[in-house]
Amino acid sequence: MSEEAVRPAWSQHFATDAIQELLAKGPFAKITPDWAWGNSTGKGIRVAVVDSGIECDHPALDDCVHGGVIVEYDSRSENQFRIKPDNKPTDVSGHGTACAGIIHSIAPEAELYSVRVLGRNMGGRAIQFAAGLDWAIENDMQIVNLSLSTSLEEFFGLFHDLADQAYFKNMNLVSAVNNIPEPSYPSLYSSVISVAAHEGKDPFTYYYNVNPPVEFGAPGIDVEVAWNRKQFLTCTGNSFAAPHLTGITALIRAKHPELTPFQVKTVLLSCAANTKRQNK
Amino acid sequence: MTADQDIDEEKLSEQLQRLLTSIEASGHAVLPGSNDALLQSIVETAAKIFGAAAASLLLVNEEEEALEFKVAFGPGDRDLVGTKFPYDQGIAGYVFMTGMPIATSNVKEDKRFNQDFAKSTGYVPNSILATPLISSDDRVIGVMEVLDKIEAASFDMHDMELMGMFAQQAALAIDQSQQIDEIHQSLVRGLKRLARSDKSADSAELQGVLSQSLENSEEMPDLLELADLFNQISALGEAERKACIQVLSVFAEYRKSTSTYRRFK
Repeated sequence: MSEEAVRPAWSQHFATDAIQELLAKGPFAKITPDWAWGNSTGKGIRVAVVDSGIECDHPALDDCVHGGVIVEYDSRSENQFRIKPDNKPTDVSGHGTACAGIIHSIAPEAELYSVRVLGRNMGGRAIQFAAGLDWAIENDMQIVNLSLSTSLEEFFGLFHDLADQAYFKNMNLVSAVNNIPEPSYPSLYSSVISVAAHEGKDPFTYYYNVNPPVEFGAPGIDVEVAWNRKQFLTCTGNSFAAPHLTGITALIRAKHPELTPFQVKTVLLSCAANTKRQNK
Repeated sequence: MTADQDIDEEKLSEQLQRLLTSIEASGHAVLPGSNDALLQSIVETAAKIFGAAAASLLLVNEEEEALEFKVAFGPGDRDLVGTKFPYDQGIAGYVFMTGMPIATSNVKEDKRFNQDFAKSTGYVPNSILATPLISSDDRVIGVMEVLDKIEAASFDMHDMELMGMFAQQAALAIDQSQQIDEIHQSLVRGLKRLARSDKSADSAELQGVLSQSLENSEEMPDLLELADLFNQISALGEAERKACIQVLSVFAEYRKSTSTYRRFK
């Protein structure tokens, strides 16, 4: 097999020598990071973390978790799942806590909600995941962090419908692309903010990729993250890139509550590190 | 014994040989001889590809809600195999529960890594890359880990993405191998049952098991034919059954001795 054939497809767009420079002109050139999120703390923005739960009393989270639910797989029920309240959320692995910690470090006054869709029963992962996203849509979350995805083709339609519902309800879905270059939903839909990892460390430095479907690259390599049982660890993965964009999106939406999901994306593009502003 | 049950022994053995050959040609021959050998070759290959000092593979033990080390390669490998721990512990547990790969470094300093366990195996890695093994129907069937990148402090995104692709192939092979094992076991179980039962026993149960295992599979007609043949043999009588077992045993031995070059060519 040639080197070309085995080259990974997603994060390569954000390798230092692969990043293409973009141009922002006219009114778009006036959109700067300072305008977009300067002095914002994400105050009052409701962010759902659809994941393994959140360890709400982790020291890295400063009581930013306002509640949540647990979505369990239930093969006997009509919908194949049931939803239980989770007022003091915990985390079954640490993955959701890691994501929450990153979001909180960027948007310290955003309100986080834990939507736990992972558990010991692995049989209904995709349906639990969809039900969790549906809960977030029905419960007026403004941003949903999705550091997980499904590659099951039969869920393409369901997740597409959910992504559309979220879009028309003025929500931003921030979705990590799969770590292997195969289709994964909902990360490949145009309405979501899809994120892969780049090698940088600065949490506010992200890039826009002109070769979709993966649109944004944020730090996700050797990131120091919170973990369950009050721990911290160094992790690598697209899972940890997405929460950076979730945090920044929370800052933008708190400062500019009038923006729609597509305007938020425009602001994100204008403030990407590879966008050059042409002021005349 | 009635005349219509009287089957020429030579003809029967020929038919069995042909059928067994076709089963082997249909898939088993392209895999190493057993599931364990397959797993061992997967972890050794993974260690080589990713420049890791060690590698291991864990499969789900659903009854005990645990992950079990099936094979390991590298330092401490012998102590690991057979060790089990609950789904929600350690790096592999995380990967299993989330279905997401993870790369971590500075593992010795990271408290969340199962240090006591690692120390008991005599091997504490510096860096880990762990990837889920996901079957074609989206079940996480296990976790593959490569440990201690030899030429760098940690595994990077490139490693993670390549390992994801490698794990996809590995999961397919493992899943297929497990299914073939199940078919073999079903055949043996079915034969034992039929041998115990009277001559009027039909092969519906065995056929049912096979049909389920082999749904959408090209080799199904052959296997069903074989199952049917076993059923017919079981109805013949003790002497015929013994003769058949002898023929099959000789054939199996013969295949073992001649198929090696095909497996490892």
